[in-house]
Amino acid sequence: MADQQITSSSTAEYFAKNLQQVGFSSPTKAVLTTLKESVDNALDACEDHQILPELHVEILKLGPGGGRNTDLISIRVSDNGPGLKPEDLPRVFGEYLASSKFGRGRCSRGQQGIGISAATTWAQLTNACGVKVKSKTSAMKKAVSMQIDVNIKKNQGIVKNKETFDWDRKHGTEIEFQIDGRLQSKGDGGLFTYLEATILVNPHLTLHYFIHGMDDWKRTERVTDVVPVVPPSSLPHPHTMKLGEFITHAMAFGKTSLKNFLSKGFSRVTPGSIELMMKNGLKKTYINKSIISIGEAELKKVFAAIQNTELPSPSTKTVLTVGEEALSKSILRLGEIDFFSVLTRKPKVCDFKPVVVEVAIARFKDRPGDADDSIQLLRFANRVPLQFDKGGCAITKAAESVNWRSYGLNQSKKSLPTGPYVMAISLTSPFIKFKNASKETVDSSDELVEEIRRALMQAGQKLAKHLKREQKAGELERKLKYIEKYGPILVTGLVKILKAPERRKDKALKGLSQILGRDTELAVEELEVADQKLEALESEAS
Amino acid sequence: MSSVLQSKKKVMQKAKAICEAMLSDLEKAQRPVLTAVKCSLDNSIYNAKVGYFTPGDKMVRSELNVSSVQKLSRTIFVLDILLNNLEIDAVNTKREIYYMTKGLTINGEHKSLDFEEQSECDSIIDYIMDLLEIYREEFNCFAGDRGGQTYSQQLVVTEFLNDGEKAVVDLSTLGTMPYQPKNKPQALKLKVKKKVDFCLVVESEGTANTLVTMGFTKRHNCILMGAMGVPTNGVRGWCKLIQDQLKVPIYFYGDLDAYTLQNIYRTLKAGSAASLIRNKDFSAPEVRFLGLLPEDIKKYNLPYRVVKENNPKEARALKKAKDALKNDPFFQDKKNKKLTQILHFLIKNKIRCEQQALMSVDPKDPLKPEKIIIEKIKSGSWV
Ligand SMILES: Nc1ncnc2c1ncn2[C@@H]1O[C@H](COP(=O)(O)OP(=O)(O)OP(=O)(O)O)[C@@H](O)[C@H]1O
Ligand SMILES: [Mg+2]
Repeated sequence: MADQQITSSSTAEYFAKNLQQVGFSSPTKAVLTTLKESVDNALDACEDHQILPELHVEILKLGPGGGRNTDLISIRVSDNGPGLKPEDLPRVFGEYLASSKFGRGRCSRGQQGIGISAATTWAQLTNACGVKVKSKTSAMKKAVSMQIDVNIKKNQGIVKNKETFDWDRKHGTEIEFQIDGRLQSKGDGGLFTYLEATILVNPHLTLHYFIHGMDDWKRTERVTDVVPVVPPSSLPHPHTMKLGEFITHAMAFGKTSLKNFLSKGFSRVTPGSIELMMKNGLKKTYINKSIISIGEAELKKVFAAIQNTELPSPSTKTVLTVGEEALSKSILRLGEIDFFSVLTRKPKVCDFKPVVVEVAIARFKDRPGDADDSIQLLRFANRVPLQFDKGGCAITKAAESVNWRSYGLNQSKKSLPTGPYVMAISLTSPFIKFKNASKETVDSSDELVEEIRRALMQAGQKLAKHLKREQKAGELERKLKYIEKYGPILVTGLVKILKAPERRKDKALKGLSQILGRDTELAVEELEVADQKLEALESEAS
Repeated sequence: MSSVLQSKKKVMQKAKAICEAMLSDLEKAQRPVLTAVKCSLDNSIYNAKVGYFTPGDKMVRSELNVSSVQKLSRTIFVLDILLNNLEIDAVNTKREIYYMTKGLTINGEHKSLDFEEQSECDSIIDYIMDLLEIYREEFNCFAGDRGGQTYSQQLVVTEFLNDGEKAVVDLSTLGTMPYQPKNKPQALKLKVKKKVDFCLVVESEGTANTLVTMGFTKRHNCILMGAMGVPTNGVRGWCKLIQDQLKVPIYFYGDLDAYTLQNIYRTLKAGSAASLIRNKDFSAPEVRFLGLLPEDIKKYNLPYRVVKENNPKEARALKKAKDALKNDPFFQDKKNKKLTQILHFLIKNKIRCEQQALMSVDPKDPLKPEKIIIEKIKSGSWV
């Protein structure tokens, strides 16, 4: 058709049409994603400024929504983070790809600069009103409040109703979205599950929250005053790159010589490794040529030479861990726990990417449910809970592949174990490979699954010690009960059959309690041994 | 009266001796130990001259400790009930005893014993019998009677009742109705009005009744009995009584298969491993195996069936037969070589032939089975 025009749509336009790809695929998911993007940002901002985060989260049902079968939901998240300058606000909330974290290479929660603008877009699309923001940095005398909409055509934020006001805090940000959505609080994709999971892996977080349906606000106190430090980013390792990425990366270096590009643009490329590359087909004459003069076709050959050269593994210094001690304290915030087991693996390189796995398994007293219900599995990538599509995830695969029965849990073959347990598995890595754009499933390479599996097995061994101790304690209790119950029957029966006098009865009862007392002592000793083993295990951990 | 019948007093004495030992151990703060015969095949001795399984010297020791305190208390509790029964001449079944334990209180408390299932109580009763080496019947505890239906024109049974009275039953007055022995052979005395030539025990009670109705007992001076499958204590003690008191040859007639040979015939003849202490009075070593024999199949052209190995039940029976050849001292003894050969034959050919197959020989002649049975007895066609 002759009059058809080819247009280039703006980034905002693209995302506005494809919101389902970034977590807005249903009214239920939209609420969770909005909450998640807001909380993740607040936590990231606090971490970057070494502030102990104190967050308020409020989710209300305001009335019927615009769409079929939806409610109008308000999501409000307020933080004590560094705050944002007024001029930055429209960019952060109304413009896609405006991020301080863009460029990958760090273990921060946010990675791309899409999250919060997508939430604003959803609010605008479903309720014709973007986000309401209040913010103040320590340099500002007064706080500023405004509404920000997205100009979808231009990928720009539009400021409305801008005002200044006195705020009773030095710095911080508060945002509120009103969107069409539906509330789901429990279950894998539930809001409570999200908050609980977030509490678990953020021991330094104090959280106040109120979700529609609760009687009152709830407050969960931080259990450590240490703010995690997200290590600075590292340069990419050449072996993790695809050809296209490599060429784009190279082009950014323009006039730089190939030699300089290779040693400055990557981690783990030493002069020695460049020598090796030359043995593997890298043309000597290119070494001092500038990137542009080499040209794409030749860069392809350079890429091949690099891939054929052995390089040292990337550094594992870029990963961060929550740590066993903090996890142990944090897990107690989730409810009444019988016992738990936490484990932090040493950082490891899987598929040329540094990664660290942490595991926390706890048995809850206050989570009734069917004994044959699966355990609750919490998955995390860079401390962000993954709540959908658990099926093909590397984490799920690893959990199902462990023989939990040998650690005392119930499990039917090749599935998750059962019982009132929560099993949290957290992956941290500056380069997590997801299966798809909605970032809910970690791609399962054999190496990664094996690393997670190892972590689970180690945690399982610790758990088994607890279960063993519990079994011993149970035995002791049963034995004591038996003695109390059956001892007197024995003596009474004998005395009755023999028509023996009372005096013999008393003596026999005394003798009986001496005999059984010896047995009890033995049982107590066994329990003590089990206790000692546990203690040794725990002191080893701390 | 037979030597089997121990006096009430003797049972009481035995029980009290054990209790006394336990109590005085307790007074000294020593662990009482109970020892009972181990009743299992690996502790069964078969001596062809004796004719039945006797216990070896393996014992089960139960020392009082936290793990055994429940079992020992239950033992004493149930023993008290049994002794009481004996004293007042009360009679009970195992199930009745189980319910008595539910009603009794200890130190004013109910449910002190927690017998959830009757089987728990039963096993305590059995344990007491092994411990004291006496028969349950001597404790007035009986199992439900099954099998042993008996027909005869000559037999007269006298029963000595608990109250000292006697009951006399002349079996010829019963017509085609059976006399069924009570599970207490010790209290019975047998007499015959006229010489009896043999006693025939038929595996199927239905077949036994058919024979009687067709006039078997009128034509032959005999005692005819239906076993009704695996013989109960009643049937076993009754056969032993006939063997000892009347001294007539006893023939067993049943299916030609491993189950009959192993579980029914062997138990009748030599007792079982579970009842090691009572086989002496509850087995009839002289009973002969009339058939069906492998040669009968050929001789009378009997229809037989092939064992289906894909049927779990039949496959299990076959496996048990193989085990018996390996582990059962009865089938390992030279004297029972012919029976062992039959087992080998059955395992090898994987066939079975049922007792009713005789009906196929001449379906028009209802007396044909009787004729064949008599012919087999007369010609010595038995093992
Ligand atoms: N509550 C906040 N306090 C301070 N700065 C914030 C806050 N929220 C967002 N920002 C800033 O705005 C930037 C953009 O946020 P946005 O969520 O769009 O992207 P991101 O978090 O970097 O990546 P992602 O798309 O993966 O979430 C952040 O990089 C951060 O610098
Ligand atoms: Mg973000």
